[in-house]
This record gives sequence, C-alpha cells and structure tokens, in this order.
Amino acid sequence: MIDRTLLTGAMAVEATLTVSATLGGALQPQPPDPRTGPRVIPNDLADWLAALRLLAAVPFAYLVPDAELLPQESARFFYLDRAWTDALVQGAMSVGTVTTADHAQLEAVYPYVRSEVDEAERLARVAGHDPAPLGPAGTVAGLLLRSRAVAGWPGLHLRAYSEMVPDDAMLPDSDPRRLRLLRMERLAPAVLAVLIDGVPRIVHVEEPRQGLQFGVRPPDGDPADTTRQGLVPPRDVSTGEPLVPMDDKTSWVPVRFRPGAPGVLNLRKTRDALLAVPGTNMGSDVDSAEFAIQMLRYPYRQVFGPTGPQTDPETNPSAAGTKAGWTQVFRPRIEVPDLLAEFTKETS
Amino acid sequence: MPSTPQPGFFNLWSALTPPLKAGQFRLDAQVDLDPGVTPTSMPVETGQTFFTVDAPRFALPADQLLSTYPPAHGNGAYSERLPQVVLKRRTLPWERAPGAGADAALPWLALVVIAQGEGTLSPEVDVTQCVTPGVTLAGAADVTQGAYLEVTKTVVDAVFPTKEDLPLLCHVRQVDLSDTELALGDDDGWMAVVLANRLPWPASADPTTTGGPDQPAAAPVQYLACLINLEGQLAALPDAAEDETETFVPVDAIAHFDLYADTFADPDTLAMAQPAGGLPKAGPAAPPAIVARSTLSDTWATAPAAAAAPTALGIDAGRAVRELMGRPWRTPVGAVTAEQAYRFPVLTHWQFTVDGDPSFEGLMQALDVALLGSLPEPDPQAPPAPRPVPDVAATGHVGLAHLTRRGDHATAWYRGPLAPRPTERDAAATSGGPLPVAHASDQLRRVTPDGREDLTYAAAFEIGRLLALSQPSVVAALMRWRAEQFGAARAAELAAQTITGTSLLGGPPAIAGVADLGRLVGGALLGRIDADPAATVGPRRPAADPGAPIPGLTGDLEAVVATGLGLNLDALRAQAAQVGAVDALADTAVPLADAAAGPVLEGPDLVTLRSAAETVAGGLAAQAAAGAAPVAGAEASAPAQPDALDSLLGELEP
Repeated sequence: MIDRTLLTGAMAVEATLTVSATLGGALQPQPPDPRTGPRVIPNDLADWLAALRLLAAVPFAYLVPDAELLPQESARFFYLDRAWTDALVQGAMSVGTVTTADHAQLEAVYPYVRSEVDEAERLARVAGHDPAPLGPAGTVAGLLLRSRAVAGWPGLHLRAYSEMVPDDAMLPDSDPRRLRLLRMERLAPAVLAVLIDGVPRIVHVEEPRQGLQFGVRPPDGDPADTTRQGLVPPRDVSTGEPLVPMDDKTSWVPVRFRPGAPGVLNLRKTRDALLAVPGTNMGSDVDSAEFAIQMLRYPYRQVFGPTGPQTDPETNPSAAGTKAGWTQVFRPRIEVPDLLAEFTKETS
Repeated sequence: MPSTPQPGFFNLWSALTPPLKAGQFRLDAQVDLDPGVTPTSMPVETGQTFFTVDAPRFALPADQLLSTYPPAHGNGAYSERLPQVVLKRRTLPWERAPGAGADAALPWLALVVIAQGEGTLSPEVDVTQCVTPGVTLAGAADVTQGAYLEVTKTVVDAVFPTKEDLPLLCHVRQVDLSDTELALGDDDGWMAVVLANRLPWPASADPTTTGGPDQPAAAPVQYLACLINLEGQLAALPDAAEDETETFVPVDAIAHFDLYADTFADPDTLAMAQPAGGLPKAGPAAPPAIVARSTLSDTWATAPAAAAAPTALGIDAGRAVRELMGRPWRTPVGAVTAEQAYRFPVLTHWQFTVDGDPSFEGLMQALDVALLGSLPEPDPQAPPAPRPVPDVAATGHVGLAHLTRRGDHATAWYRGPLAPRPTERDAAATSGGPLPVAHASDQLRRVTPDGREDLTYAAAFEIGRLLALSQPSVVAALMRWRAEQFGAARAAELAAQTITGTSLLGGPPAIAGVADLGRLVGGALLGRIDADPAATVGPRRPAADPGAPIPGLTGDLEAVVATGLGLNLDALRAQAAQVGAVDALADTAVPLADAAAGPVLEGPDLVTLRSAAETVAGGLAAQAAAGAAPVAGAEASAPAQPDALDSLLGELEP
C-alpha cells in the first residue's frame, strides 16, 4: 500500500506550482550572475538602483551646489554620503506607492532591497575576468578633477591604492592593495568624476599610454619664457636606465635645433652631444635604436598622496606632489560638538 | 635572434634590411655538368625566371598602419613629443632604395612635419605627377593616383631631415604580443617606427606682448605630418647642418615660413605692393586651377583654432585675419615662386593641432588639491568677485537661497552626496533606532540648530523620485516587481489552503528572501515533513535491527561457550564479573591438545568413534550419489521467521 500522506503532499506541490504559474509569477531561473540565492528585487532593477547610487544621471548641480566648490584647475577629494544615496534610492522606490499597503510592503522589504543594492553597487564596474566582489558596501571615497588635462588627455589612467606603494609601481588589477573604481566618468569635457571602493592612501593619475613615445622635456622654470629648450636624460643603451637623476634636469642633455627653424632637430649635433656623455655604452656612433632609447619619453604620472618620509602632517603639511599634505586632505577638520558650538554661536 | 621580450619590455633594432629591395628581378639558373669522360663539359641551357618584389610606393596599405602620434585630428600639447608613425611590416622602411647606390640601411621613407603654410598637399593626382618634374621613378607603381607634397627649397632645407639623419629616424621594435599596450594589435610583435625630426611647437604669441602672467605663451598651430617617399630625390635633402642652437624662439612659425618670406618679408608689402601680374588677388575668386585641389587644403589651411588666436593674443587682429583668410587661396608653391619647388609622393598623412596649453605635467602640478567644500584662497590682489563667496559650512553644507512654500525668501542648507568628511549611514541609529523608510521628501527635512532648514536629504529623495519617474521602463519595472510581491503573498496563502486544511506553511508567509513560489512551497513542505515524519511519511525504522536467533543455541551463553571450548566455567565467570564477558573470553586461552605428547584417545573408544564416523560418511555419500537434496536444504524450506522489517510493515497494516 502506498503512503497516503506523501501522495497528498506531492500533489499539493504540483498543484501550487501550477497555480503560481497561472498567477503570472515567472519561475524562470535567473541568468548567470555572481549573485546567487533568492532575491527580493530582480537584478535589473537592483542594477539600475546601484547605478543611481553611484550618482549616474544625477544633475551636476546636485553634486556640486556651487561652482566655487570646484574651481578651474582643481582636484577635490570627497567621501560619498551614504545617507544621501539611501535617500536617493528611497525616492526612486517611492514611485507608485499609493496605498497604506504599498507603504507597508515597501517598509517590509526595504532592508533587503538596501543590502541587495549594496551588492549590486560593487558589481557595477567589474571586468569580465575579475572575481566578482561581494559583500556589504563599505566607505566610498572619490575625486572630482576639473582641469584642462581632462579635456586634452582623454583616457587618463587613474589608480587608487589602499596602502603606500612606490611612485613608479605598476600593480595588476588583482593586487589586493589596489582599490577598485566603482565609477570613472567624464561628466563634462573637463570634469572627471571617480568613485573608489574604499578610502585610498595614494592615487596615481597617469597620462594615457599610446604605445611608446619619443620626445624631450622642458627645463624647469618659467614656462612663459619665450625661448624654448628641450632636454633629454642620457641613458645607458644596454639597460635603458637613465644615467642622471630624473628629478634634476641640470645634468640632462639639451637637444640641438637648427637655427631659424623652430622645433627642427639638428640630429648630428644632438648625436654628438649624446656621444659626449660617458657611460651610455653607445660606442663611437649612434644608430637609430640607440637614438630612440635616448629620446624615449614615458607617460607622466602624478601622485596624490604623501611622498617621501612619513612625517607628522602637522609639522610637514606640504608633502611633495600636492599642495596640501595628503593626510591633511583626508582628515575631517570638524567634529559634531564643534559644529554645534558654531551653530549656537551664530544664532546667539 | 634573441627570445621574445617579456611583457613591459621591448627590443629595439636599428634596421632590418630585406635581402632584396623592391623591383623586378631576373633569376638566371646555370647548371654545370661534369660527366667525368670526354668531352669534359656538357653545356646546359641557362634557365631564366622573372619575378617582382613588391612594396608600397605611393600609398600605404591601410593594414600597414598601426598607430600615429599625435593622433589624427588631435588637438593638444604635443609639442614635447616627436611625431611618429608605427608600421606593421618591420622591413617596410628599407624595402626600396632611396637612390641609386644608396646604403642598404638607408630608409626610403621619412616622416616630415609641415607647419601651416609651409607647403601644399595635393591629393588624388596621377602618380606620374607626384614627383618633382624631371624626376622619373622606374618600375611599376602600386596605385594609379596618389598624393604629393609640394614645398620650396627653403622649406626643405629648414625642415626636412638631412641624408645623415634618415637612418637615425627609423628603427624596429620587437615587443611581446600579449602586451596589448605595446603591441598595438600587431600580428607578430615586430613593427617599424618612423620618427619625425621636428618637435611641433605652437607658435609664440607676439613677442612684444608676451611675458605677462595672464598672456598665453603660445598660439595654436596646425601641423601636417606626411610619410613621404624619397626615391630618386635623395639629393634634394639638405646636407648635414653644422649650425646648431640649444634654444630657439618660437616666433610665429607661420609667418617665418611663409611661402613668400624671401620675396615679401612684410605682410603689409604683400597686401599693398604686389607686383603687377605676379600674384593672384587674394579673395574668394580663386583661379580655376586651384579649385580642384581645394578639398584638402581647405581643411588644412583654414584653421579654426588659429582663428581664435588674434583675440586671445591681442596682436594686430586685422593683419592676422587677412593673413589667415588669404592663405587658402594661395596658389601652389611652384606656380608663384621662382624658387625650386619639390614634390614628394605622400604615402599617408594626417594633421593635428598643437595649442598653447601647458604640458600634462604642468597642469597636474598646478592643480589645487583639497577636500570638496574648501574654497580656494582668495587673491588679495584680485578685484572683488562679481558674485558673493558661497556660504560654506565646515561640514560641506552650502547655504542656498530657498523660497519657502509660504513665499518667504530664506536660505537653507544643502550638501550634495560628496561630503568632505566620513558620514554615518544611519545617522539616527545612535539616537534611537534607524529611521523609518521615507515615503515623501518632507519626511527628510531637518532643522539645524541655527534655525535654518537642512534640505540635503529631502532634495536627494526628490531627485531620486524624479529620476525614476523620468524613465518609463524603470517605473514599469517597479510596478511589475511590486505586483509580483503582492502576487507571491497571495499565492502563498492559496498554496497553504491547497495543501491541507490546516496551513502547511505555518504562520504568515515570510516575504523575505522568497523569489519564487515553488521554493516557498517546497521549503515549507520539507519543514512540515521534518516536524512530524511519522504522521506524513510513516513510522521511523530503528537504527539497527536485532539479529536472527541461532537455532539450537539455548541456555546460558557462557556455559555453552565454556563447554564447547573446554574452558573453566567458574574462572571465566569470576573474570567476567570484573572485566566483562567479551573481554574475559578474549583473555582466556583455549586449551589445546599437545600432539607431541602422544594421541589423546586410544583403545576401544577410538575404534567405536571411527566406525561411527565412517557410517555417517558413507550414508551421506550414498545420499549425494543418489542426487538427493542436501541436508542443509531442510532449513531453507522452513517458513521464514518474521524480522524487524516485517514487524514495521505489520504496523502499517490497517
């Protein structure tokens, strides 16, 4: 004899599935996604809300309410205000809530929506081969860059690191010290917005790389000077290493120009000048490969962050590389009690 | 040949010359036969084969161009980099001979960079017209129409590389193919690079006005980069220059290299004192001969970027405009100057604009770096700003004009999502639990201690609502999702009623974490089954079944074992009382008969036993021979004793 109770259960499940299918609940499996397990909101909706969290399509006046806050030729670092973005999502979720039941439903599911959008937010800018980062959202910092460098050099490279790395480091994307970029977008031709998944200790901004380039560097000093000069650091052609300090151009070799022809190199004299530098291993003549090595110019990289020996930011506020010391830049300068005192002082 | 360089590294080679230059060749095959007998020589007819080694000549195939620097039509501060073109085939710069008897390592290609006004580019011309009149190139042309660059001897002497420079400007680079940044999409990792010999500097501003801190130091200049064919015209290149300078003053490059520089140094002379019939009138009524050529020279010579220069520089605007407007209508170089003009076939060309922006390095180092919310230091020398300095609090809040609903003009605080200090996500959590979900923006309005409203989060709520409303697809997705949520709750209730009379799902349906109804029902069903399995699937089977009884084994187990093995029952019992029956049995040695001590049984008893055994064995053998059922079969036919499973099944019987 067959168990009567079991049969009833199986039939009930089958019947319920049929019922729910006719009710319109599409029980199709979701497409492959790193997010597994049951979800409260569909992934496409979560993705849209995550993009909203990353301030996609938010008018720029809402981000920077006054133009004085982002003057020309400036870089402004910031923390993302999570409460602000939560309010943004709540506003989007409030669309179409009319009845009390709608409100009750939204309140019941909102905590789950929030945590799911937290996850979707971190997946917003994952390259195909990267391991998908999951988990709750942490602090998001970022950078607004308004400069002619953004307009004139499209495709800037920006890397953020959670720990101090050497200025000339080139770490792969998978390095744990490297912070992921949640968003990097030009909001205007000269305004670049970057959101970083974490608080960086050091940020590298690098000229776009377009293969190898050859050229000279101007001498230090007044760029408005009407005479132009081009300097190259002599290099050992067997290793490619420069023979002179890269940050001191006094011992660099000036390239020779033809008089009366702006910018046209006198290659013979330039070659003679390079041959006169000891230690280049070039022999008695210069061939084109050796000349190319001498003229190599690597992309310039600007480092935002503390450089040199780590000293107290109070005593050494002007760390090289930036106008203000990094720790000073990323240090809250006021606390709530101060604020309260300030406000009460104003009213009194 | 060295191995392929590692990613991030590259090898440079000064030249890779092909064994044969491009051209038509005849291969003569001769065979010498020595048969070893007289006649000692047997002449064989000479075999002749003709073949052609091909190479681009007047046009560069599109697939041979890997990259150019500066990018075509680019606009930027390229003044510190040498323009370059990267070619896919590594031997391309050495596949033709630039002149008869030239060194094999002397390239036939050169990249020349021509500033605005220094030459004329004429596209789509029959290739026989593409070289200086009087020069003919032997051999086949790869295309029928090509472009040529026409420049005066002055420009050639000033700008073109010398014969000595040519080998220095071409090299071969070998990179690892997996290094996408360096490989540029090449197929074998070998590429030829042709450098220009000129740094494309922007023109300087008028030297009389330059120097002030507010004056831009340079004006944009359009440059044209041409990869030219030097075949047959190597002699036109300048000789090695002995003059050198370490610095130069970039006075207006256009004026300096004006086509008429040697004849009419002063633009005013140009405009007012033209010799009769010497020059065509400047103006839209261009001679017909030039109209056909104006397609590219229009885009080349009318410089929109340069047009901005006069106002930016404050130089004589009228003069500059006249200069600029007259330029596109100038006749080709050779038609107006008595000077020797050269034409060079152009394989590929592109133009770019160098403007006076400072370098990337200069821009980045001049950046004002701070946290958002800090205002730049006001310059005490600067005139007062036309608009007041914004009211920025140290928290990043900005005071903005606020028209209240009652019509009052007030100021309110606002801070965007970008804050100068870390903020707490659930700010109210410290003061009594998280805030409820806002359903209207007014729920998020705050009043600060100074009496002004803080509209930060209310504005965020409202812009989020408006952004969602602005996209019908998002509104539809939200409504569909909400309908599904309600539908799922409804279906869960229905499922509860369908399964049994009592709610199998137990309690109110949990909305959290339920994506589909099937999983909800399945989970609830399993939970219910687990809660009372005896009622749903049947009684539980015991973990271990008792063993079946052994027939004939009755009585005290210890006594049976001790008797059978010849053990001392009393000693065994005494030991079992201490360590247990199993351990006692294991420790007790079984007495064995010592075979060396002689037979155990002798005499008439042995005879009786042996005869009895033979009787039984004989009976069994007789039975086996008769094919009777084995003795053990008697047990198999006996009815099976009911075991534990049978008793379980019996309990299920009604």
